[in-house]
Amino acid sequence: MILKYDISPKISEKIPLSEDERIYYAIPYDIDKNGNWIRGAYLFVTTKKIHIFDGETITETMEINRCSKAKAEAKVGGGILVVTCDGEEKVAVHYSAKHLSRYAYIARGINILISGRFEEVESSEYEKMCPKCGRAVPGTKNCPKCSKEGGFLKEFLGMAKPYKKDFFGVFILMVLAAITTLLNPEIQKHLINDVLKGGGGMKQALVLLSIMFSLSVGIVIVNFFKSNASTKLGAKISADLRMALFKKYQALPLSFINDRRPGELLNRITQDTTFIREFMEDVFCNLFAVLFIFIWDIIFMMVLNLKLALLTFVTVPLVVFLIIGFRKVVYRIFHLQFRKNDDVSSDLQDVISGMRVVKTYGREEEEANRFKALSAEFARTQRKNESFWGIFYPMISFLMGMGVVVVVYFGGRDVFGDKMSAGELYQFITYTALLFQYINWMSWLPRELTVLTSSLERINDILSQEIEEKDEDSMVDLTIEGEITFDHATFGYKSYQPVLEDINVVIKPGEMIGIVGASGTGKSTLINLLMGLYEVDDGHLLIDKTDIKNIDSKSYHSQLGVVLQETFLFSGTILDNIRFSRPDATYEEIVKAAKMANAHDFICQTPDGYNTYVGEKGYTLSGGERQRVAIARAILTNPRLLILDEATASLDTESEFMIQKALERLTEGKTTFAIAHRLSTLRKADRIMVIDGHSIAEIGTHEELLNSKGIYYNLYKAQIG
Amino acid sequence: MADNNSINTFEKEAEEMTVMRVITSKDKFERTAGGFVNLTFEGVKYERVKIVRLFPFTDENKYISVRENTDKAREIGIIEDMDSFDDETREIISEQLRLNYFTPVIKKIMSIKDEYGYAYFHVMTDKGECNFAINMASNAVTKLSDSRLIIMDLDENRFEIRDVNALTQKERRKLDLFL
Repeated sequence: MILKYDISPKISEKIPLSEDERIYYAIPYDIDKNGNWIRGAYLFVTTKKIHIFDGETITETMEINRCSKAKAEAKVGGGILVVTCDGEEKVAVHYSAKHLSRYAYIARGINILISGRFEEVESSEYEKMCPKCGRAVPGTKNCPKCSKEGGFLKEFLGMAKPYKKDFFGVFILMVLAAITTLLNPEIQKHLINDVLKGGGGMKQALVLLSIMFSLSVGIVIVNFFKSNASTKLGAKISADLRMALFKKYQALPLSFINDRRPGELLNRITQDTTFIREFMEDVFCNLFAVLFIFIWDIIFMMVLNLKLALLTFVTVPLVVFLIIGFRKVVYRIFHLQFRKNDDVSSDLQDVISGMRVVKTYGREEEEANRFKALSAEFARTQRKNESFWGIFYPMISFLMGMGVVVVVYFGGRDVFGDKMSAGELYQFITYTALLFQYINWMSWLPRELTVLTSSLERINDILSQEIEEKDEDSMVDLTIEGEITFDHATFGYKSYQPVLEDINVVIKPGEMIGIVGASGTGKSTLINLLMGLYEVDDGHLLIDKTDIKNIDSKSYHSQLGVVLQETFLFSGTILDNIRFSRPDATYEEIVKAAKMANAHDFICQTPDGYNTYVGEKGYTLSGGERQRVAIARAILTNPRLLILDEATASLDTESEFMIQKALERLTEGKTTFAIAHRLSTLRKADRIMVIDGHSIAEIGTHEELLNSKGIYYNLYKAQIG
Repeated sequence: MADNNSINTFEKEAEEMTVMRVITSKDKFERTAGGFVNLTFEGVKYERVKIVRLFPFTDENKYISVRENTDKAREIGIIEDMDSFDDETREIISEQLRLNYFTPVIKKIMSIKDEYGYAYFHVMTDKGECNFAINMASNAVTKLSDSRLIIMDLDENRFEIRDVNALTQKERRKLDLFL
């Protein structure tokens, strides 16, 4: 994301700069004081001052050494930059949502300058719109249209390189297909001229017919091999890309995944690779064949009858225009129909899932009327579209065949005038038909190529991400004793928004720490750091006096047990799910672990015991049952460090009791971190940590905290009374 | 005794949330030098209050909540109708609303160009002329009613069309693709 826009010299000369002063940030703002759009207005931040430039002159200047704070506040459909100057909070600029995240960085940059440091803030986020051409960027670093390094051909060749041999095979088959297709009309001409009109004998007719027959068979065979080869190639390429993407996803740091919507990442694996496969199957396998045929088709036509050929070409632009126009209309009306259909089904879904509410409030009739209106509207659109299709489609196909009509008329005159033989006319007509058929095909090409380029861009965007290599030698395998030290640890998911600031605490081996605090204060973040999912930005997190960064992550995670609020079970059997943490566990160990977790008994009640299939489409376990499977999973590894994130939050009293018992067995003698909203679940905790305002607000035993009458005391009294 | 106090804090807080206070023209709004607004309500002065529309779409000038400038943003009171204030106060509050809400209303559609899944709009709004792009695959258009639309662009700016039927036939045809 750009934080320093290129400024024309005309504007930059209006910014007064002292000797050692430099411009750090230059960003547009797009809403003026009256709330209207404005263009050419900028906020400049130099090492000493903040200037506001309204497109004409500098309207306001703030000196950074008189400011104490900058904050980018998000509003509805936009935001404001608030700068506190001389103790007064001030609206510096107002901007639309386009610049929301940009100003969040700027506020951070100003705050750094205020604190007397001179680091420049950079943003790794991508622009949503290409600053050069103004087109939307499909989630990649560079605009596929403008980037010099990208470009369709280069992307495509890069992708194709490892498959050179397969591509060559497909190419040869394409040339063969083109030759067989083009030869047929030539033979037909001879049949008409030499046999039908020239009075050739039966023998000659049979020879020609059998050549035609073998050519037709040849086309079928060549096409079969061609489609087969390109389908195989497409499947191979997309499978390889899918695998490469999947591996990359697992290797990338979690922060990269979190910055993107899960759906988007999913689409890159499923949709983008599928598109490449489809392109290979439907477009590429014909691409060269079509181009080859197309060029020869034109040459043959011109050789046969130059005048007629030129006449035909004149109609080409008209036909292309008609095709594109017609396609637009069709898209429009059917898109509309599709939307209406969507309305009907989403309304239906609404009513059916809300049936209980509809019935209890006695609103059946109103709902029925609403549905009737939607349904009638959909039916009307559908009827209209079908009649449009019925009337216009034949007309359009007639218009598209106009070229042939022209050929028949003028060619026919030539035949009567003996300037052309009947066979040649027939051959010419066939070529004309081929020409229009391929023009139709090629008119889709630009669209297909752009979608392919976007897909390739998106895939390469992931594959080209660099992963920080860790020095294997400095990594240690550690048998965890359980002493955890937070040493000035600071962390934020976004660099400009710290979630935890300056955390300092030492946890003794075997201690159980309860973590409490309001939502959004950073409890789960603390745990994410402990689980090694993120690394601290500043300070250290030490496990047994070794920095977690230097512990081999595989060895660390094998000694970690985690039970979260919502347990995620993979599709598979209960056995698979318990074994997930240690695939080599024996049946005995698994049953033991399940018994310890109070899970054995309910597993026995399921139809297939430990082999019961659970997960998205399988046997449904209740929340408490899932939780106990997760505890069994954790027990199995005999972890040295345990993390419980609201493990009992969404359970009824009986299952909570069972799980509480199971957890007590599990946590015995192990360093444990437990987040809980219900303080009663923390009665076994050695110490309680209260997180508030990004840091540890209180820490101590239950009694100590009650005596100090702080946040914990209030929470406890409110819950327990 | 101390224990009862703490329960009372929470109870009081929960109880307080139910109270409906009305801000009338007797209460005083003042501009700050920085472009915000202070409110003096029942003798208490609140610095830099937050102003929130309760019904931004159906009645933008009625029922406006005025809240404290703290993390909890406790409600100070509700303005039932902006029209009950004098011109100056109304202007002060409107200024704040303009800072907090930016939803240009589309008056005229100059062109809509669609290119590979994105639609590029060139429009005239009540805030001036502008260009924006939407992703056609996502639900960029929300129907508030049969004729009233909210369009969300790629940057999550919101544009409103108050009445589709007030557009010309030509403009409607351009828009049809996205409705």
